[in-house]
Amino acid sequence: MPSQLHIVVCAGIVPDPLQTLEPITTPSGPGLKNEMVLPAVLDPWAACALYEAAHLAAKNPGSKLWLVSLGPKAKLQQVMMTVAQKVAFELVPIDGPIGGFPDAHATAAAIASTIEAIPGVDRSKLLIFGGWESATRGACVTLQIVGERLGITEQFQGVDQIDMRDDGSFEVLERIEGGRHQVSVCSSAPAVLGWATGNLAEPRNNPQIGMANMRSMMPALQKAKAATLDTNGLSYVSVSLPKQQRTTRVVKDMTPDQIAAELVEWIGAE
Amino acid sequence: MSSEYDNSTAPCAETSPLTEGERQSMEVDIACIGFGPATGGFLTTLTQAWNENPGDPAFESTVAPGMPLQVLCYERADDLAAGVSGVVTQARGINASFPALNPSEIPMAASVTSERVLYLLDPIGASRRSGLLRFGDTLLRLCNRLLLKDHAFELPYTPAFLNKHGGLVLSIGQFNQWVASQLMASGLVQIWPGTPVSAPLREGEAVTGLRLADQGVDKFGCPADGYMPGMDVRAKLTVVGDGPMGQVGRALNQDKVKAQDWALGMKFVIELPEGDDAQALAPGTVWHTFGYPEPEIFGFMYVHPDRLVSVGIFVPSWMSDPSRTVYRYLQHYIQHPALWRVLKNGTLRSWGAKSLEESGRRAEPALTGDGFARIGEGSGSTNMLTGSGVDEAWTTGTQLGEAVLELLRAGKPFTQENLAATYETRRRASWVESGSRAAENARNGFHNGVVKGILGMAISGYTRGRVFVKSNPVSAGRQIRPFTADSPESRQLNKAAESSRAEGRTLHDALLTVRGWPEIDFDGRLLITQQDALLIGGKVQAMPGFADHVKFRNLQLCAACNEKTCVAMCSGQAITEGGDGLPSFEREKCVHCGGCLWNCAGENVEFGAGAGGLHSAEN
Amino acid sequence: MEKILVLTHLDETGSALSRASLEAVTAGLELATRLGAPLGIGFVGSDAAIANSLAATGARLLAVSGEAFAQPRYATDAAACEALCRAADATIVLVPAGARFSRVAAGVAYRLGGVVDTHITALGGTEKLEATRWFYRQRVEAVISRSARPWVIVLDAGTHAAYVGAPGNANVEQVAVELPATRTTVSGIRAPKQDEQTIRPDARMLFVAGAGWTKKQPDGQIHVDDAAKLILGFLRATNASLGSSKSLVDQGGEGQSVLPFLTHMNQIGQTGATPRHAKGLSTCCHGEEPHVVGWRFIGERRAISLDPNCGWTRGKADVVYVADAFAVIAKLNEMLSTKG
Repeated sequence: MPSQLHIVVCAGIVPDPLQTLEPITTPSGPGLKNEMVLPAVLDPWAACALYEAAHLAAKNPGSKLWLVSLGPKAKLQQVMMTVAQKVAFELVPIDGPIGGFPDAHATAAAIASTIEAIPGVDRSKLLIFGGWESATRGACVTLQIVGERLGITEQFQGVDQIDMRDDGSFEVLERIEGGRHQVSVCSSAPAVLGWATGNLAEPRNNPQIGMANMRSMMPALQKAKAATLDTNGLSYVSVSLPKQQRTTRVVKDMTPDQIAAELVEWIGAE
Repeated sequence: MSSEYDNSTAPCAETSPLTEGERQSMEVDIACIGFGPATGGFLTTLTQAWNENPGDPAFESTVAPGMPLQVLCYERADDLAAGVSGVVTQARGINASFPALNPSEIPMAASVTSERVLYLLDPIGASRRSGLLRFGDTLLRLCNRLLLKDHAFELPYTPAFLNKHGGLVLSIGQFNQWVASQLMASGLVQIWPGTPVSAPLREGEAVTGLRLADQGVDKFGCPADGYMPGMDVRAKLTVVGDGPMGQVGRALNQDKVKAQDWALGMKFVIELPEGDDAQALAPGTVWHTFGYPEPEIFGFMYVHPDRLVSVGIFVPSWMSDPSRTVYRYLQHYIQHPALWRVLKNGTLRSWGAKSLEESGRRAEPALTGDGFARIGEGSGSTNMLTGSGVDEAWTTGTQLGEAVLELLRAGKPFTQENLAATYETRRRASWVESGSRAAENARNGFHNGVVKGILGMAISGYTRGRVFVKSNPVSAGRQIRPFTADSPESRQLNKAAESSRAEGRTLHDALLTVRGWPEIDFDGRLLITQQDALLIGGKVQAMPGFADHVKFRNLQLCAACNEKTCVAMCSGQAITEGGDGLPSFEREKCVHCGGCLWNCAGENVEFGAGAGGLHSAEN
Repeated sequence: MEKILVLTHLDETGSALSRASLEAVTAGLELATRLGAPLGIGFVGSDAAIANSLAATGARLLAVSGEAFAQPRYATDAAACEALCRAADATIVLVPAGARFSRVAAGVAYRLGGVVDTHITALGGTEKLEATRWFYRQRVEAVISRSARPWVIVLDAGTHAAYVGAPGNANVEQVAVELPATRTTVSGIRAPKQDEQTIRPDARMLFVAGAGWTKKQPDGQIHVDDAAKLILGFLRATNASLGSSKSLVDQGGEGQSVLPFLTHMNQIGQTGATPRHAKGLSTCCHGEEPHVVGWRFIGERRAISLDPNCGWTRGKADVVYVADAFAVIAKLNEMLSTKG
């Protein structure tokens, strides 16, 4: 008997990972040059969480799926035009600052209070999903604090798989060192799962899903609450691009045998 | 001959697991194909009217009674900011739509502050210059030494027909994004990126909507994992704004009018360091150049705010030489002393490429039909005398927008007759039409040589098109001079092909080296390999699950082709020559410039609906 | 005055502290000396006897032990770490990165009313404590400071030397923890078979396989089987860890030929790992800065590539061999096997 789940995915937006990034100082702290101009995407690990959540919801009829996202409203709208075509969900936007430099604790507080305010969320069915790290802060902090703020102490990080069982319990595979997984069984919801890549491919763009999502998405974006984030005493001493330019010796005229010999020596050297 | 790319046989005809019956379909009022300036203009006109009076009964949907008009737009690129052009435009139509437009609201936009036209001499000696041009260059060097600076001669003034004063320097990527955010905020319009349209839906001669591209297919288009047939979107009006390479625009135009003149535009976005010569170049500075790296190649430099510069070249179809290696040419171009003085300390941020339909009005297809109307570059709106297309495209969109509002308010259907009476009438009476008429023969002379071309353009410009050079241009592919079996060019090409295979470099690159152009001294910052440019600037995206959109119809023709211009011209190095001498295509490198389509003398390239392409918002 | 606490746990053998824990101990000793602050070391695990190995540190030793704390699990680990921090009255808590404590560090900070920062690679500052960390997947480096306390600092592995000291008889304070209610049972570890395991964090060398291995070779054909044999042969001969580019691991999703032993867990770079190894050899890789972050923390770097100007190598590697990786690795494997 499949369980009905209430899955809330927390996913931010990040600059497309292939963009050129350059830090600058803004009146409100560090930022990225042209940050609002850079194309944005859904945070890659959180996107995996969204696809896994949609897959899980589809396998458990009667389940509901929300996507909570904090970012500038206009930028959220832009990213959602792509994300909305992939899986069906209800968007819960929070109009807030972009980027990785705002404090994670404040972000977590804004997200937790937003989740608490979502009408109809049943705690006994609640799974909170997100990426185990973001592509901005990369901190592995926000989701745990969201869980703590909501009093959820069954938490998993680096998740690659969840298997629901008929009794409502579920098995979770978390990444640990050495390319291995720790296997745990949680007897019931609520729980927090920070996802690594999972096992699903990115879903196809489905225009009908997009149309269905859009009915609630645009009004939600228009009504998005603005969040101001506290710094919690965080200050930036410096923000810079790494200067790790190496002098590269280009070897063009050696045969494969000669290269192999040189490499054998290099590999063996301490 | 067999190859994985030979799709002369249909490998999956009998294995389709789904029937046509399972294809999804939906009904909308207006479906638009392609989100560029033309569709931007169209949708802006509609939403501005809606914002003024949402209660106007004209905006009630006929397919979803009680709901507002259902207006959808589908865009192939995976982001609405993923445009590929930086432009200078008079912005006449754009300003008309946004009378209070403040350029500082749009990233990378600036009002035009100054314009220069430079004739660039060849400081290297590798350029293919005619005797006449060489003589002229020598004279210029002898007589006008005082007027030459950095191997460039500045025209004393900018000809009126080129003048963009009062206009805007824009990044189309940023402009599109700015327009799109306003459109979607209205709630009337949905614009879906990453959604290529494969074909128009037709009933007889009428267009009844569009079909989205199939997903979950292999490279041949055969159903594979997660097969999802593209949805049929049935629409009362289909707005075709998919540009000259658009699958739908071309399908509606088969065997009718064909554009003969094309150019491939490629440009870099370069960031200049603080405190450098950039100080001297105010945002809004515009340079037009000609004469280098080849006499036929025109170039430009536009200065955006925040020390960003767009610099690029146009390689035209009438440059008969088959070795159209644009990326390498662009690298030589920016190193011309006149430009290098400004650019040398810059960093490449982005690049892009696009085909420009240069026949303009001469290749104008049917603008309207039952159930459809065509706007923008694919409708022949580009003005090749003024070198302007964005503003014209935008304006054709607004004209259609006004026409649609008129028909909606009158309760009239979108028949060819009604669309012609409203949209075509507006267009014919506008500055777009008068400008394109004046321009339609302006570039004829280039088919008879560069000098005649420039003179012809000037004459046409100053007489508003009344006097022009006559010519009978052939199709773009046939403008490529064939290599005879044992000609010097053929030997050069073979040598380049050998060298590219031996050294693991592309034919593209090897060609110019064997012709005497110096190797590029890569610095990893501004002068980088094209493969790196694909990753750092253009950020080419190719979502999985779509078929290859470039196919070679008959590989026997390819095998017999000496020129292989498709390989040399390919902006993204997506088409390469394999060890068997045949071209092969890698979808994940394609920037959808469409250059292969018009550079094949045998018209042997199919260019279909594909998702993705460049993913840079700065273009 | 600051009070420093280092949190530690056992490694998978159950008989020694994890390497990351020992590195955090070094960081704690250094910081305590610099700040003139008292140092405590806390231990979470089944048996506190291991704390004897820290006797020579001279630090105050605290432990939460018992079978309930043997296995990594959020509820029990968070309760244990919280109790240790409270018992030590710590203002600065140094935590070793790794699956076990990264899972709970933020939750612990929240319970203490404090703040947390992760992926810290260096601790500095003269007047106030400053921490260095990366943003945007190792592409932007920042130095931060916090006024709030307690400040939980999760140290990246490999940033400090592991503590080495003579074992002794330590005086370990047992900290009592009321066992929290938990609905989670840890049932074990799932690992690939020994001969299929290609991720070896302790290896001296990282071998990076790029997408070029599965592209057409000069004969116009794709040679995935040969590529797989060559790569596995190299890994066997050198015991290197295998990293891969995103484009290569993603290919599986596109139905292309893909190396059978690669998973997303091998991925390094933008959305993958940034492992630390003494040496790195990249092959058939291509890309620019966003991808190259995958070997940000590799000591000596060499590359085999057909393109000497490629962004992966230029200015990023110490040596680039312009050559066909198929030929070089074949010969290399042959020579390594002879060398035995």
